[in-house]
Amino acid sequence: MHHVVLDRWSRGSTAVHRLDPRAKIVSLLLLLIALATAKHSVPLLAFELALLLAAGFCWARVPVVGALARAALVLPFAATFAGIAWLAGDPARGLSLAVKSYVSALAVLFVVSTTPLPTLLRGLEAMGAPRFLLEVAQFLYRYLFLISEEAQLMRAAAAARNASLEAWRGNRERFRAAGGALAVLFVRSYERAAMIHRAMLARSFEGRIPTLSINRFTTRDIVFVVLSSAIPWALRFVTAAS
Amino acid sequence: MPSPWHEFCDRATVKDNVHIPDGFLATPVWAALDLAAAPSVAYMARRAQREFDESRVPLLGVLGAFVFAAQMINFPVGPGTTGHLVGGALLSFTLGPAAAAAVMTAILAIQALVFQDGGILALGANAVNMAVLGVLAGYLPFALWGGGRFRKLAIFGGAALSVLVSALAALSELLVSGVKMPFPVLGLSVALFLISAALEGAITLAIMQALARIQPGTARVDHKLARSGWSRMLATVSLATLVLASVGVLLASAAPDGLERLGEQTGITSRMRTLIHTPLTNYRAAFLHSDNLSKAAAGLAGVALVYCACLALGRIAARNRSL
Repeated sequence: MHHVVLDRWSRGSTAVHRLDPRAKIVSLLLLLIALATAKHSVPLLAFELALLLAAGFCWARVPVVGALARAALVLPFAATFAGIAWLAGDPARGLSLAVKSYVSALAVLFVVSTTPLPTLLRGLEAMGAPRFLLEVAQFLYRYLFLISEEAQLMRAAAAARNASLEAWRGNRERFRAAGGALAVLFVRSYERAAMIHRAMLARSFEGRIPTLSINRFTTRDIVFVVLSSAIPWALRFVTAAS
Repeated sequence: MPSPWHEFCDRATVKDNVHIPDGFLATPVWAALDLAAAPSVAYMARRAQREFDESRVPLLGVLGAFVFAAQMINFPVGPGTTGHLVGGALLSFTLGPAAAAAVMTAILAIQALVFQDGGILALGANAVNMAVLGVLAGYLPFALWGGGRFRKLAIFGGAALSVLVSALAALSELLVSGVKMPFPVLGLSVALFLISAALEGAITLAIMQALARIQPGTARVDHKLARSGWSRMLATVSLATLVLASVGVLLASAAPDGLERLGEQTGITSRMRTLIHTPLTNYRAAFLHSDNLSKAAAGLAGVALVYCACLALGRIAARNRSL
């Protein structure tokens, strides 16, 4: 499944991977704000930032083409609105919407593909995000693929019993059957959660996942934050002025 | 091997949730919604933590994963078209509104980070639309009528309202941000939202009916709310506000700038006077002379005002624990 790719990318050992997650989060936010608030020459600025991010991907030894393709996941939504703006007689705005959302997704991808998700969530916690919410997110990610596989199995089982969508008749029965399948999946998930909880209690879980403290903010992290936020903002002003 | 037709059926899915990516919303819109989302989501998370005690975090996480996985099970809508569950309302019926809001926020965060579905700066907007407004709109009808004769209608109406309110909120945020949509497109999207809402209602009802058969007692009906007159009234007023706001957005999208046009036709606009001069008129800070600086200052001041209002409301809501 495609998630494995992102997990594999994030477990590299380059200098970018070793940076403090907080440094990457701060830089990401500053870059996103620089792009979101830009009004003039947006396509050119987006192109420059995309080049910068591509250089970042090379530095982190993450496949650039793969990353560019993955960020395109945002394009169906963005392209629809860009097309509508085009038809409404404002092609410049349409193009600006599409490139802004694509480069923003690329920037998020840069951080996620160079930081394992648990480390990233720990960084967010250190920056004041509610711990409870982050723990829910962490469990969600941990069991996401397991429960998705279960749903796939149920789908395969239903298909094996000829529950295809090819027949146009009997919609009502098939609708009810799909409802039943999801109810079963819900109960199974609920029970699985109870089992996980019991297993964790047996391993002395006290309501909080113990984590190793994140490293101290080093000079390298400070240099990264300063450079990676100064360059996009400088590009933004220079591009707008030219 | 699935046939090409089967593949097509899988692809032609009614897209029922609008996750706004970065770059679509105007700065004052995303900034204000981020600041509004922070205290509301933090309050919901704290409430969920109290209700569920911290050691049951796995349950919320696993049910969040369930909502993701549920999107793989397709429901037939018509020839060649399928739909899937969005899940906010189902979570609020089974976990309660606070925990449902926390799980929905976690889902949105994972979708934005791992699946590039929805933006990071727009996370506040998406959280307000789906985790706060969507969950509340879904829960209120169920809390009011979910235990009585109208249980089925309450489940259907709650789930439908949840999807409709989130979609309309997203649509109005996009329109306020200046994303252009000609009238036919707007009409088509509203029609699609109505279909998705009805579909979500039917799917949630089918699941809740099946759940009642295989595991009775899964639904959490708030008996305190059903008994207390004051809470009931507050819930009814909130529900009425949400419904009226949705109807308002529907009408406004059918006739954009209707009020201004009416004013021009009746000649009110020419005789209009501003009674109170506010310091942030037309999103500009009047006391600053530079154009860009005054816009930025007005934006920041607006954001700060919204934040203070949210904080104050959050405090009041935290004190009044009856709802």
